[in-house]
Amino acid sequence: MHKLIINSLTKTYSNGVKALDNVSLEIENGMFGLLGPNGAGKSSLMRTLATLQEADSGTATLNDIDILNQPKELRKNLGYLPQEFGVYPRITAEQLLNHMAVLKGITNSRERKELVKYLLDKVNLYDKRNKNVKGFSGGMKQRVGIAQALIGNPNLIIVDEPTAGLDPGERNRFYNLLSEVGKDVIVILSTHIVDDIRELCTKMAIMNEGQIVFQGNPQNAIDELNGKVYQRIVTREELDDFATNYAIISNKMVGGQPLIHVFSDTNPENGFELVKPNLEDVFFSKINTSNALV
Amino acid sequence: MFKNFFLSELKYSLKQPMVYIFLGLMTLFTFGATVSDNIQIGGSIGNVYKNAPYIITIYTTIMTLFGLLIAAAFYNNAALRDYNNNFNEILFSTPLSKPGYFFGRFFAALVLSTIPMLGVFLGVIIGSTLAPIFGWVGADRFGSFYLETFVNNYFLFILPNMFFAGTIIFAMANKWKSTVISFVGTLIIIIGYIISGNLISDIDSETIAALTDTFGIRAYTLYAKYYTPIEKNTLTPGFSGLLILNRIVWIATGAVILLSSYFSFSFQEKNKKIKAVKEDKKELKQLFTRPELSPKYTRKTEWKQFKSFFLINFLSIVKSVTFKLLFLFSAIILISNLVGGFEYFGLQSYPLTYKLIDTISNAAGIFVIIILVFFSGELIWRDRESKINEVIDATPHTSLISLSAKALSLVSITVVLHAFFIFCGVIYQLANGFTRIELDVYFIDFMLTSFLTYIVWSGVMIMIQVIINNKYIGYFVSIMVIFVWGLMLSIFDVESNMLFIGGGPSLMYSDMNAFGPSLKAGLWFNAYWVLGSFICLLIAGALWNRGAVSSLKERISTAKKQIPKSYRLIIIGTISCWIAVAGFVFYNTQVLNSYKTSEENEQVSADYEKKYKKHENSANPKITDLKYFIDLFPYERNVTVKATMTLVNESETTIDSIHYTTIGSNWETEIKIPNAVLVLNDTDLDYRIYKLTKPLKPAEKIEVEINTQYNSEGFQNGMENTGIINNGSFLNNFEILPALGYQSRKELNDKNTRKKYDLKPKDRMPKLETDCSENCMKNYLTNGASDFINVETTISTAGDQIAIAPGSLLKKWDENGRNYYHYKVDHPSQNFYSFMSAKYEVKSRKWQGIDIEVYYDAKHPQNVEMMLDAVERSLAYYTKNFGPYMHKQCRIIEFPRYATFAQAFPGTMPYSEAIGFVINLEDEEENNVVDAVIAHEVAHQWWAHQVVGAEMQGATMFSESFSEYSSLMTMKSISKTPMKMREFVKYNHDRYLRGRGSEIDKELPLYKVENQSYIHYGKGSVVLYALQDYIGEEKVNTAMKSFLEAYKYQKPPYPTSLDFMKQLEPQVPDSLKYVINDWFKEITLYDNKMKKASYKKLENGNYQVIMEIESKKLLADSLGNETPMKLNDWIDLGAFSDSDEEHLIFEKRVKIDKSEMKFTFEINEVPAKLAIDPRHLLIDRIYGDNIKTAKELLPEN
Repeated sequence: MHKLIINSLTKTYSNGVKALDNVSLEIENGMFGLLGPNGAGKSSLMRTLATLQEADSGTATLNDIDILNQPKELRKNLGYLPQEFGVYPRITAEQLLNHMAVLKGITNSRERKELVKYLLDKVNLYDKRNKNVKGFSGGMKQRVGIAQALIGNPNLIIVDEPTAGLDPGERNRFYNLLSEVGKDVIVILSTHIVDDIRELCTKMAIMNEGQIVFQGNPQNAIDELNGKVYQRIVTREELDDFATNYAIISNKMVGGQPLIHVFSDTNPENGFELVKPNLEDVFFSKINTSNALV
Repeated sequence: MFKNFFLSELKYSLKQPMVYIFLGLMTLFTFGATVSDNIQIGGSIGNVYKNAPYIITIYTTIMTLFGLLIAAAFYNNAALRDYNNNFNEILFSTPLSKPGYFFGRFFAALVLSTIPMLGVFLGVIIGSTLAPIFGWVGADRFGSFYLETFVNNYFLFILPNMFFAGTIIFAMANKWKSTVISFVGTLIIIIGYIISGNLISDIDSETIAALTDTFGIRAYTLYAKYYTPIEKNTLTPGFSGLLILNRIVWIATGAVILLSSYFSFSFQEKNKKIKAVKEDKKELKQLFTRPELSPKYTRKTEWKQFKSFFLINFLSIVKSVTFKLLFLFSAIILISNLVGGFEYFGLQSYPLTYKLIDTISNAAGIFVIIILVFFSGELIWRDRESKINEVIDATPHTSLISLSAKALSLVSITVVLHAFFIFCGVIYQLANGFTRIELDVYFIDFMLTSFLTYIVWSGVMIMIQVIINNKYIGYFVSIMVIFVWGLMLSIFDVESNMLFIGGGPSLMYSDMNAFGPSLKAGLWFNAYWVLGSFICLLIAGALWNRGAVSSLKERISTAKKQIPKSYRLIIIGTISCWIAVAGFVFYNTQVLNSYKTSEENEQVSADYEKKYKKHENSANPKITDLKYFIDLFPYERNVTVKATMTLVNESETTIDSIHYTTIGSNWETEIKIPNAVLVLNDTDLDYRIYKLTKPLKPAEKIEVEINTQYNSEGFQNGMENTGIINNGSFLNNFEILPALGYQSRKELNDKNTRKKYDLKPKDRMPKLETDCSENCMKNYLTNGASDFINVETTISTAGDQIAIAPGSLLKKWDENGRNYYHYKVDHPSQNFYSFMSAKYEVKSRKWQGIDIEVYYDAKHPQNVEMMLDAVERSLAYYTKNFGPYMHKQCRIIEFPRYATFAQAFPGTMPYSEAIGFVINLEDEEENNVVDAVIAHEVAHQWWAHQVVGAEMQGATMFSESFSEYSSLMTMKSISKTPMKMREFVKYNHDRYLRGRGSEIDKELPLYKVENQSYIHYGKGSVVLYALQDYIGEEKVNTAMKSFLEAYKYQKPPYPTSLDFMKQLEPQVPDSLKYVINDWFKEITLYDNKMKKASYKKLENGNYQVIMEIESKKLLADSLGNETPMKLNDWIDLGAFSDSDEEHLIFEKRVKIDKSEMKFTFEINEVPAKLAIDPRHLLIDRIYGDNIKTAKELLPEN
């Protein structure tokens, strides 16, 4: 059992933006979902865990590795797919993975060859292994990125918004692969897509403005909201009134009319109906604490 | 529509800072060049004003080269702005007119790109105004401005050059829609320019080179090549001649390019080529299992990571389009360099390995710098630009591994390029049938010079990129470091090679002396720089921006925290090694072998003059006899000299002190004068005064013993002493012994430098005097310290070398494994000779009791037999026409190519390996320059060694001009056709006319020549050659012979040129007396022209030729101002039967007394060309128009 302990991690950028505000988490084997709106500090946390960024204060340890002070040790145990994954020009998929494997210490060339073939096959790119990887489509490149993150025997796999640009089939394949390797290691999956978390993760955290606003089991979080979320279709003109009068969680358009979800311990009447809460409601209720319209 | 696009483009760009930045830079550059002597573009010297029209034109033409970058920026913008902003689809879907858009944008860019070039004018104008006010440069260095200069320069150079460059860049930008390609277009233009420059290998190809030069720079240089200072100061380039032809050619070419680009331009997006998707081969589905992995992180892993990084980076460069293009361009430059071969005055040198090495480093130089600058940025930024950096950075490798792999791939690229060049060089050698290919020399030279440079610059540039952490600022800083750092050091008069990045003494490979004396210094400097480069890499490795972008300060603090102990140890270790090496280099180059910078040397010369000039005319005794005992240790590079000299007081006063100017601190000098005390010993200025306790009365003698010693220790900052080297030592007598009295040759010469040190301008030579006695007591070779003296030498050298001193070899023996020789000069001679030693082969021949010997290196036997012939032929002609040869031997002695000259000492003639010995003479049947040089030096055995001029204007006329004339006469004696001589004399015409253009003080008539080589070699030989044609060879020789007989080996007073003129005058018939005045005593130029050339067939079968000629005779003053003179001269008219002007079928000398005349002659062959002065006897700045193809006049019916 691996254990990642993050304790009071804080980082303020030179422009004054507080990217990480006293972040503390404990993560064990399995898929861990990190949910948050854009700019919440997810990527900063991921980068810090991937040794690509310094923190101002706080600690982070993976088992007995002090991530901030022993970056090289951590890197030996890391699989990382950043938000933006690009590739070198003028190089084939196989060459690229081979190079990455060398960097990750797979020095035995037979092992390396087999591993690269195995991973290429896993991400369904085996047929294209001798093609120039720069010419791949976005989804194909992302698959290469996934393959490289799985090289070696990482204890910690960090994937930052991995499914952007993947079609639904590819996305499923990716998640299958991820949950397969995630049985024995820690996988941190950062995303703003709520469904991804629901389908995959047993543990999750929600980040907003550099802080962890929720952590725990997704189902528990949904259960907490049970019987407290109401919805109603309103007209555009009424929208502002409702926003001032109710604790609004979210608003979106349905069939050309705004549909609002509100949080209430009691039935607010006035045409509202109770709905079965989903993870999206959890997400919005956690981050939309000021109950503003979006 | 045109107006709209034109104006909006202008408005848009004028609001951007770029145009003003470029304008500012151009102004600054030219301003700097105008107000300082340290920044030189083109350059103005002596009498040429710093703002002369010629100088402004040179600035303009050269700056248009840099202007290419400006053009690239503006044209590229004009063509691509809409694409880059993705505005094209919107814009092009509007109903706009194609010509309006295309030409509007083009011409706006044209106007814009010429604006910054006006900075050249601004810079000169501001500089010329401010410099005299602030006293940077004296007001006398500036002349008036001419509006015409600016207007013509704009329309002749700026506008056409920007237009032509623009057509290519604009066309390429429109075609390929890529900024990189636009810059490639710029590169192509530069390459074209360089290649056209390679076409100039001889005078004959100048015209082609001038026409093919896209910038008109060479057309202008040719146009103005014979400009005198006064013309440079007043003449503005005009719309005429070759210059306008060149401009028309390139404007027309540009127009064609522009139009074809216009017709192929379309608003519609080209359909992108869609490659047919190849069906991936369906492979049998294999089953893969995840292997058991055993990641290891050992040293071996690091090595494998290094290899993998290296391969990835190396291949990425090799496969990149930029590299392929640079590779191609450099290959084109190299090949175009090689095509011309190694030309030397119409002959070809053998393709020796060292010649190819020089060519390669010229061709490689600029490209390697481009590659290093460009790819250092590319490699450092590659991961980030590919957005793979986070993934790579998060893998467990050390930053240093990846950085050093990048550095190595950068170096490897340059190595590959260089290896390719060497391959081309070897192929070239083999293709020319040259089989002495020295791969080891190629290799060692590469390792010692280029490779070092590549390593150092790779390290430095990678560090710059890492520290600056911004690719483009990084590029800018790199370029500044390359160009400005060295300039800064020069401005502050710093010459230590430890500060010039990659610096060290330049190594020059010689067939005789291999890599020479600086090899050791080179190796140490290499160690110093390579370690320095490693330090750069280590620093870069520590500060490498891994992960998120952070500031330098943050990176430093991260580095402090994270850098492991082992890394610190490596840094400390490397720095310690570097400090140790630096200390050693410093000790050797600054302490053990201190040197003076050029400004310090100037200061010493100035102080010397100020302090001791007062002794210049005090009486000194003269040397009459000299005995040398010299021990050369070529392998240790040491010399010990003991000389005993007999001094005689030949003056009429008593001498109470003896003055010496010593030979510098590198030589230990001990002077033993009986009954004398050292009263002044100025070791800084090398001056000593010995007071005689018993003054020397007139005619009294004194014996002085002098011991000097040169010991090489360690190594030096600059070039080592090349006088004493392993193979090919060459020491002049004045290099090994102190000189008697004050030496005026140590004074500063240039009037502007003198001004800097508050010294008045000095006369180059004393004025010519008639019937002089007092001022003719010194000859110009020995400065009055001696006349004709007896010299005897005992010289020893290493056991495997031959040592040579002047005179006959009396005895030779071995002692302690060393070779000893005893030489004695057969006839008293000038105190002017050399001592040499090398592993020589000797070939000799006896001619009338004289031993003709050639001492040569075993690698150069090819031309020795021909050299013996040339010596024999010269001796034969000279003994017959001038008088006996006074020595028993006549030696040619090869010395290494550190200098490229031949020199004549009594009976011995050192001859550089670079000329003569390596020229391919296999196919030369007639006279050639190798023979000519030998004939010239042999002639000095009469002219300079038997009779020598007083230290006075005109002195070199009867040493150098006579020798050159004598040489031409031996050439003529074996020439089969008179036209062959014209081929030869043209070099002398060119030398004279070019030389007078760069005269820094004043041109003088031949008989008053002040040791100006263009006059005594160039004009002197032309004039004497023409003279013998006009009055007859034997008449000239008679005059020379009688002059020689009157003065040879005479005690002073020495003769002057006027003494020769007295001998010459009786030989000249009255009808030609004007020649003496015009050619010798004035500066006279002819401007002859064949205006109309025609012929018609006569009924008797003969042909009547009709020549309409134009002729002018011009009198020039010392600055080149010309005044027409009345014409009453004899000039030849002639006819050639062939257009190659090889067969002169008719020639007649006619009296020309009007500026336009018409002549008809009857000849019996069809003429192809008619000419005035067909054999090019007269000095004529534009000789090409003297000859015209003859037109046949059809008989009138």
